[in-house]
Amino acid sequence: MMLFRPNAILPFIYPKNTGVSRQVLTCAARGVGGSGLTVQQAVMKWQEDFQVSGVAEPELSSQYIVAHVLGLKTLDSLGRRSLVQILSDRQTQRIWELCTQRITRKPVQYVIEEWDFRDLTLKMRPPVFIPRPETEELVRLVLDDLQKQGVGDGLRFLEVGCGSGAISLSLLHSMPQLRGVALDQSQEAVDLTKENAHRLGLSDRLEVLHLDLIKDEDLVLRRCAPVQLLVSNPPYLFTEDMNALAPEVYRFEDHAALDGGQEGMCVIDQILTLASELLSEQGHVYLEVEPRHPPIIRNRLQQRIMGLEYVVTHYDISNRPRFCVLQRR
Amino acid sequence: MSEISLLVCMLSTRGRLLPAPTWPWVAPAAGKKGHAGLPELRDHELEEQFVRGSGPGGQATNKTSNCVVLKHLPTGVVVKCHQTRSVEQNRKLAREILRERLDVAYRGEESEVLQGKREAVRRKAEKRRKAAENLERKRLFKEARQRDQE
Repeated sequence: MMLFRPNAILPFIYPKNTGVSRQVLTCAARGVGGSGLTVQQAVMKWQEDFQVSGVAEPELSSQYIVAHVLGLKTLDSLGRRSLVQILSDRQTQRIWELCTQRITRKPVQYVIEEWDFRDLTLKMRPPVFIPRPETEELVRLVLDDLQKQGVGDGLRFLEVGCGSGAISLSLLHSMPQLRGVALDQSQEAVDLTKENAHRLGLSDRLEVLHLDLIKDEDLVLRRCAPVQLLVSNPPYLFTEDMNALAPEVYRFEDHAALDGGQEGMCVIDQILTLASELLSEQGHVYLEVEPRHPPIIRNRLQQRIMGLEYVVTHYDISNRPRFCVLQRR
Repeated sequence: MSEISLLVCMLSTRGRLLPAPTWPWVAPAAGKKGHAGLPELRDHELEEQFVRGSGPGGQATNKTSNCVVLKHLPTGVVVKCHQTRSVEQNRKLAREILRERLDVAYRGEESEVLQGKREAVRRKAEKRRKAAENLERKRLFKEARQRDQE
């Protein structure tokens, strides 16, 4: 393992174009009482570098990465005294490694290889889709309804497009009576979901299958039906919106987890088609969708006899129509 | 792309007690620590905002910002929370913090927060007193031993 004195690498870490006086940085780098950078100085240095390089969320990116290297989730818990602590050589090196990755616009969640979803910490790995904060609300909706209706002996759900396993594992973790089957057309997603399930001790309650809802329709029906609940955050972006995506999304996340086709409805349509065959009577479907989808989905259910009823649209924390609840008649 | 930053300001109730609230108090449950004695929050009196910047949200972005800003409409008290990496946890915490702030604002000295602080101060003073006592006892013991040996 290479050890080095932070001062020795100053010429490399402070390139000419940071816009901050080299002299100032050199003095700062000496830190309080000696040879290294303090936590705070490292955070500021990289926040500055991110800003200058046009990296999104420069402050947060720096804070999350430094916190992670310190074994923390956020820097929030650190008091004044901890912030002026000198970083060890190893810590400094690790911060430099990770922040350098972030300069390439790699999402923070992939850089630190983990992220939180509700009360769980999940492993993250490109290109598997990173869970979005809106989806935490989807899980809460499902749990609220399950609590109201009662789960009795137990209930089996199907998740379509599990990604890192966020939705399935969160449901299982919060309700011990649940069992689930999750599928994804990406082998990497299947592997990551299994890994997260194992880390959380939930492997025995979650079956993870490498299946494509459209291509493997028959297999899906045979191996999954019947379930009492269907939940999904399917790829729902409109193809035309794909190239407006930030580099963090466009260059690093699986496009197949994002692109829902011309109207963003490809996978949703297949879910609607198969739902009544997958679900037991009165079973519910919970979908996260694009804000333009609710009226389109309502229309679909009216036009064709799918054995499904539209129950309600819920709004997300930014007040956009985001969640559709349907029920098998 | 610049983040939308919300300026948070606390209602300046410093030093002034607000008039007693009209909603019923939840009596502290016996033996239960903390939040049982705090004012309940009503959804229609709250305004919640999620600082995620402009843009479509949802799958279109994988940003890490999950700051929750919770405003209590009747009093104007605003709480900002980004303590965790989960927006749902931040929402829960924001509500807890708001309940504590309202408690302090309404009950002043009698609030759970300040009672707790007084208790902590008292416990610390007690600890110091005991430590001093122990030191004194040891000192006397040492002196007695030395006298015996002479």
